[in-house]
Amino acid sequence: MALISLTDVGKSFRSREGRAWSAVADFNLTLEDGEFYCLLGPSGCGKSTILSLLAGFTLPSTGRLELSGKPIKGASRDRGVVFQGDDSLYPWLTAVENVEFGLRLRGVDRRERRDRAMQYLELVGLHGQEGKHPPELSGGMKQRVQIARALANEPRILLMDEPFGALDAQTRGAMQVELRRIWERMKVTVVFITHDIDEAIVLGTRVGVMTAGPGGTLKKNLPIDIPGERTRGNPRYIALYEEIHALVREEVLRANALRAA
Amino acid sequence: MSEATRTLPVSDTAGAAGSSASSIWQAIKNGFPYFLGFFSLFFIWHVVAVYVVASVLFPPPYAVLLRAIELLQDGVLVENVGASLQRIIIGFIAGSLIGIPIGLIIGSFPLARKILEPWTESLRFIPSVAMITIAVIWFGIGEPSKIFLIIYTTVFIVILNTAAGVGAISANKIRAAQALGANSRQIFFLVALPATVPYILTGMRIAMANSFTTIVAAELVAANAGLGVMLWQGRMYMQIGDIFVALVSLCILGFTADRLFRFGVAHFAGRYDVTP
Repeated sequence: MALISLTDVGKSFRSREGRAWSAVADFNLTLEDGEFYCLLGPSGCGKSTILSLLAGFTLPSTGRLELSGKPIKGASRDRGVVFQGDDSLYPWLTAVENVEFGLRLRGVDRRERRDRAMQYLELVGLHGQEGKHPPELSGGMKQRVQIARALANEPRILLMDEPFGALDAQTRGAMQVELRRIWERMKVTVVFITHDIDEAIVLGTRVGVMTAGPGGTLKKNLPIDIPGERTRGNPRYIALYEEIHALVREEVLRANALRAA
Repeated sequence: MSEATRTLPVSDTAGAAGSSASSIWQAIKNGFPYFLGFFSLFFIWHVVAVYVVASVLFPPPYAVLLRAIELLQDGVLVENVGASLQRIIIGFIAGSLIGIPIGLIIGSFPLARKILEPWTESLRFIPSVAMITIAVIWFGIGEPSKIFLIIYTTVFIVILNTAAGVGAISANKIRAAQALGANSRQIFFLVALPATVPYILTGMRIAMANSFTTIVAAELVAANAGLGVMLWQGRMYMQIGDIFVALVSLCILGFTADRLFRFGVAHFAGRYDVTP
């Protein structure tokens, strides 16, 4: 059985004037255990809405959304979330206290949760930074804390909403390498939202490209089958990039045409 | 497709722990402009009083200091300062204790906001000074009327700031807690409340400043002791020195209270940085 399945999922919102508009429509997708799925699409296509639905922060307006065959009814600790900005961290807690927050909620004893949090800080490369508060950390470090916080809770699925979108290019590249390494070690299922094609190819086992919004839906799924290094020197990488780029470009043009009409 | 990457400044707070000699030098360098500011205050006061105004109606600093020593020695200053300070402390603490829970409720529940806002949004525009007459009629000229007025001046600003603090919590802080498995009680006590602390403390600081204004006005109208009484009697008997001693006392008390409050925040709640 699929780990996650979305069947004809739609989500519509009501605008301030009271008109309903659809963020995503007829969205169909199944995810298997252990995948690193990257959801790619132009801005405004509804990819963050999909993540929000998977997390359980919002519920679908239509269709079925299931985790191991059971409908998702709300947020739960089997789905960890890493947000784009740093405003989800708790600035009054230190890095290690942020990481152990989930364990604290469950009443894990102080010593044990501290030990586990330290292991995860180590895993994300933040050894020695545990006593710092989030405002004292750089953008990349804060995202590492977020990843450690989500992983320390041992979720089945890690949901990431453009987690490196606000980082500079160098930091972003380093974070991608780290995340890929962590995923290989942890064997956790990842859903990763991005609008960066390179990022999707470097990280994913599969990429889904969305159509332009409103009412965005899945246009095409592509497996990332690259033998060897995932760098621009690899001809398969370039071919895949071109294919995805063409798909995204179509949607961007369509979105512009819609807007102009 | 070109991607514009936003670059975040990497805040590597370099450990600026120099030798102790250089840190003393640093302290002097930081403290000197401050000292200069205070010094110029008294210096200009002195120059204006002695050379520009040159009247008994505007005593220079040293004359005020001499009068203050006299008033300290016969206990008048201590009695009046003590009376004002006691009222402020009781009213300020009581007002904060009332205001914080109400602010949390208003900030957390839209229904409560709708019900309570007509109260807060109308009553807060009555200056506490305007409530003096009714406070004296209701509670007499003793302590209860003063404490009532301090509570009145404290409670609304604390409510307002606390509610604003709850409203300013980013949705992602709550969502992150939900995804980590928090129930609503845990979200309130472990996320919403600590996230609101800086706003509560800011509200309390403003309230403290308001308390000084209010207490003097209340004591001017009706009281047996306090800095306001000192000011009023100084006018009645033309004791300019006493008036100035009272005014300077207010400066020192307000300054000290604010510093103590900030120090307390830094010491006990350092992790919640309060707006300077």
